[in-house]
Amino acid sequence: MGISLHNVRKSFGPVGVIHDVSMEIPTGDFAVFVGPSGCGKSTLLRMIAGLENTTGGTISIEGRDVTDVEPAKREVAMVFQSYALYPHLTVFENMAFSLRLKKTAKSRTNEMVHEAARILHLEDHLQKRPSELSGGQRQRVAIGRAIVRQPKVFLFDEPLSNLDAELRVQMRLELAKLHKQIGATMIYVTHDQVEAMTLADHIFVLKSGVIQQAGKPLELYDNPDNQFVGGFIGSPAMNFLPGRVLGRQHGLLRIGLDGTGKELLAKVRAEIGEGTSVRIGLRPEHLQAVDNGIPATVELEEDLGGVSYLHARLIGGQAIVVETRERRKSLDGQTISLGASAEDILVFAEDGRRLR
Amino acid sequence: MPMLTNRRKEMAVAASLVAPFVLTFVVVFLYPTIRLVQLSFTNAPLIGSGEWVGFDNFIRLLSDRLFLTSLKNNGYFVLLTVVPTTAVALGFALMIRRLRGALQALALAIFFLPYILPVSVVTQIWTWMLDFQFGVLQPVIEFFTGKPVSVFKNPYWVMPTVAAVTIWWTNGFNVLLFIAGLRNISKDYYEAAQLDGATRRQLFTKVTWPLLWPVTALVLTLQLILQLKIFDQVYLLSSGGPFNSSYVLLLMVYREAFQLNHGGYASTIALVLFIIIAMLSVLQFQLLRAGGRR
Repeated sequence: MGISLHNVRKSFGPVGVIHDVSMEIPTGDFAVFVGPSGCGKSTLLRMIAGLENTTGGTISIEGRDVTDVEPAKREVAMVFQSYALYPHLTVFENMAFSLRLKKTAKSRTNEMVHEAARILHLEDHLQKRPSELSGGQRQRVAIGRAIVRQPKVFLFDEPLSNLDAELRVQMRLELAKLHKQIGATMIYVTHDQVEAMTLADHIFVLKSGVIQQAGKPLELYDNPDNQFVGGFIGSPAMNFLPGRVLGRQHGLLRIGLDGTGKELLAKVRAEIGEGTSVRIGLRPEHLQAVDNGIPATVELEEDLGGVSYLHARLIGGQAIVVETRERRKSLDGQTISLGASAEDILVFAEDGRRLR
Repeated sequence: MPMLTNRRKEMAVAASLVAPFVLTFVVVFLYPTIRLVQLSFTNAPLIGSGEWVGFDNFIRLLSDRLFLTSLKNNGYFVLLTVVPTTAVALGFALMIRRLRGALQALALAIFFLPYILPVSVVTQIWTWMLDFQFGVLQPVIEFFTGKPVSVFKNPYWVMPTVAAVTIWWTNGFNVLLFIAGLRNISKDYYEAAQLDGATRRQLFTKVTWPLLWPVTALVLTLQLILQLKIFDQVYLLSSGGPFNSSYVLLLMVYREAFQLNHGGYASTIALVLFIIIAMLSVLQFQLLRAGGRR
């Protein structure tokens, strides 16, 4: 197992920020910690790096307990959001920094830095200073500095958030390629769920220092454990509508939508008492135009070319986003009738728990 | 021609904005400087004009024993203060940075407090503390030398003591500059270096020192300029004595101008000091910058 965390806790004084986190990341995996700001994802990464002490629990890397091992001896390399490139050193010197600290032979240092530079297409920039490079190039130097160390684990702390949108997409692809090429275990922290979805082998969704759900990207997307994960993964976000259980029909759960007088059928096996308040989760792409469905008035249309998003409102006043791929005449201001198939309707309890 | 009038208007506004500074600069700096240069070629008294004497004053300077002694003392004082005060300030700044919250504020206040005292108060404090008979520091001196020393009347002690007082008095400002410089160094650099396996010593030599170098160069240059202009502390503590062992150039300017009424000769000394300061500080700053770029 690449990295194992067992009941890891962290508190700053009386404030707990990480609560009993346990996880297993296989060797060679690309794991992504994702969550809103302040959820503890960066703290968790820094604890794995050894930059923060652990209050409780154990962290192991490749079977070795490193909980109390100093950062340099954990065989991890980290890429910082700010890149942390030394402004007084050239690209070459920045990348050779760790090797020089270890007094590695000159020829070996040269070889390793040039190898990393080749992988990252930095050969022409080795004698430049960081200030002479573009954002993307600096990012690559920061990654190069990590590669040179040949660590067991690469840690990325929001590495793309200082780049503009276009470059971010490009660097995302390069990172994915790099992971294929090197094959090392990587942990990547981001608040951007698109980055998480596209890069990860496994995603860990965090909120308030607790792992909400872990799994493959599409598992999280299709089958969220709770309302938070459902709402966090996916863009535009999942629609949530309040409702009330009316009973069962052909083995499906009948749920009345508050304020609309309409009802939906959901594929839920759990026994839920009649009259229980629930929340219905509907992805924008699962909503279809049906006859005699839930009426909604379109307030705004967003045409993205291949796909359009309709921002609509139900009679009860709830906002809802509908994805459509049909190019029709404008629906702005018109009332549409919506429905969804029973398999696509997710049901959550009042406390956010998924009801299956 | 709206463009032209606009341009004229802009010029007028610009001129009116810079005028107060230019005027002040001309009246209190440029004009006196030109007059100083003129005076240095005459035998004028302090007030009134004198005769043109060409380079006589400058030639006389070269053989003036007191000038050479003062020049040497100025150099000695610079050696005793510039690098030591910078090193001390850096050391304190590094220590203060480790403190947190109110404790850090308190430490900073303690180090900065002497800086806000007027020089006369500073010299009075140290005169008392180092008083031959009653000074609280005499037992300390006695402990090391075996006997009390009248520091301001001893040719070997006087300059180092004045230097120590000066460092105590002005160090707070340098500490402040270094603290500001240290705060500007991102924590990420230290963490990155830590992950790379840097020891605490290496963190200082490979991260702090090079990233702080611009501030260090600034402090060294400011100190060089300041310490070459030494006057008040020496005047108040030892008046240049004993046996001219703490005589410095500005003391000589003061004596020639205001005690001996030699305006021309005093101007010559002042001009020479001005040129020395300008040359040394430019030279030093360039050397330090080159050092930082390496």
